[in-house]
Amino acid sequence: MNAPSPLATVRATAMGYAPRVMQGRGWVVAGLLAVPVGLSLVISMVARIKGMDGDPAEVLRIFHEVLVKMMLPIMALVAAPAGIREDLEQRTLPLLLVRPAPAWALPLGKGLPWFVWGAAWLVLAALGLQAVGGDPSLLLGRIAALVGAWWGELALMTLVGLLFKRGTLWGALYFFIWEPLVRIFPPFLQRLTFTHHIESLAGSRAAQVQTHQLLAQEQVSTHPAVALLALLAFGIICWALAGWKLHRTPVGLAGSEAEG
Amino acid sequence: MISLDRASLRYGPILGLSPTTFHLPDGGGITGLLGPNGAGKSSLLQLLSGLLPPSGGEVKVFGQPPFRNPEVLARLGMVPEGDRLPMGLRADRWLRMMGELSGLSGEDLGAAVARSLETVGMADRAHLTFTRMSKGMRQRIRLAQALLHNPQLLILDEPFNGLDPEARLTLMALLRDLAARGTRILVSSHILGEIAQLTDRILLLFRGRLLAEGTVTEIRQLLDRHPVELRLTGEAQVLARWAVEQPELAALRMEEGAVVLSIRSPRDLLPRLQKAAAEGGVPLESLDPLDLNLDAVFQYLTKDHA
Repeated sequence: MNAPSPLATVRATAMGYAPRVMQGRGWVVAGLLAVPVGLSLVISMVARIKGMDGDPAEVLRIFHEVLVKMMLPIMALVAAPAGIREDLEQRTLPLLLVRPAPAWALPLGKGLPWFVWGAAWLVLAALGLQAVGGDPSLLLGRIAALVGAWWGELALMTLVGLLFKRGTLWGALYFFIWEPLVRIFPPFLQRLTFTHHIESLAGSRAAQVQTHQLLAQEQVSTHPAVALLALLAFGIICWALAGWKLHRTPVGLAGSEAEG
Repeated sequence: MISLDRASLRYGPILGLSPTTFHLPDGGGITGLLGPNGAGKSSLLQLLSGLLPPSGGEVKVFGQPPFRNPEVLARLGMVPEGDRLPMGLRADRWLRMMGELSGLSGEDLGAAVARSLETVGMADRAHLTFTRMSKGMRQRIRLAQALLHNPQLLILDEPFNGLDPEARLTLMALLRDLAARGTRILVSSHILGEIAQLTDRILLLFRGRLLAEGTVTEIRQLLDRHPVELRLTGEAQVLARWAVEQPELAALRMEEGAVVLSIRSPRDLLPRLQKAAAEGGVPLESLDPLDLNLDAVFQYLTKDHA
């Protein structure tokens, strides 16, 4: 019998674990987007009934302040532990590791259903914001920004979850301490944040917001295509490192051998 | 099929398995891995199933190191200890995934899933999620996943834990059947009766050390300094008088209508006793060995090393 290829391993794992995204944790991930965007829609509809037009600046604010800065990181913090980290903690990983399939492909296989599920809701959220009154020319950019960042953030959290026992804590520190702090650091450091690339893809906010609300000290100048490529590449590197970590780390029945 | 050459396993500063050497030949059969909790059974099984690499020495399964080795893992099935399955998934779909991860595809995959479910008697309940299954049902599914790819070596870590008596008997019958069909089975347990019912060939582990290897009788022969207890029923005083003249006698105690002898080298003494009884020199009505079972062997060996 031949060992399955890496592609077959990713496909089998993704298909096998896909039903998990339709359970409790998956709906929490969906709710993180559906609730704020749904509320915005309701408020916008009420405003229109009262004769007021949609405000693109309000859409920008919800996009950057709520979706990008809060909901996207929380989605990654909620979803990533349900990936390969879950098997490590629930000690079901040995069942996978005693198969002849390449172990390094398992993190991506388990993460893929979460990526697809989250990406679908992000697209819906972007469309919902459009209905609130967003600039139509920015829709594709917003979708690319959200999905690209989701790809990178989910991969990062999967890797951190394999590297550290308290991966969620380290991830939260990165998202909620490092990214906001970049504003006071030298400008080049902003390129090491998701927000920089998201702003590049979703369009600059400079015209709509005050200077202090801008992410960095300088106007984002990275080309959108480069930003998207950077997010995709970063995700691929994180998935690869997570696979390498799993492949190299002995994981026994107790699971603790892989910690830290 | 399996060879360990001074293989050891450490968990940081803790020694899980002392340098151990043994070989299991090719072919079917059941080998019991016996020892109390913490003896090193799971450590040994994790080395053999490729979950952990040895900290020292060498482990070979099918002639190759098993750690992350697809050639070995494709021929090996493992049922880890504990009631651990990804909750919320349907058993049949999960088995399909495990089959694909074992290299099965297309019609072979469907046939393998159906066959293993049939083997473990779960064909009609495989559509249930693990959450809705009983512990016994989940244990059968765990066995089914290990059988999907027709492994030549099947490793089971404490498979009888938590099973009701009927399920235990069913599992034992299944394992015997698989062994008869050529599968080499290595099964661990801390319950002596389970292993004794399954197989006569055992590896005895205690505190990370392989204490003994062989059949119960062979291991018993290693214990010359531990006397075997025999209860002789008949005229106790006459029996006792005869016994004290025997050089193999280590101890003697009287019971009502019987005498209990502790003797070394029973194979030397028993023919003489038989002859004396046949000639009428010893009024013997019955003879019962008290400690020639696996429990006694286990108690003796572990007492020595405690």
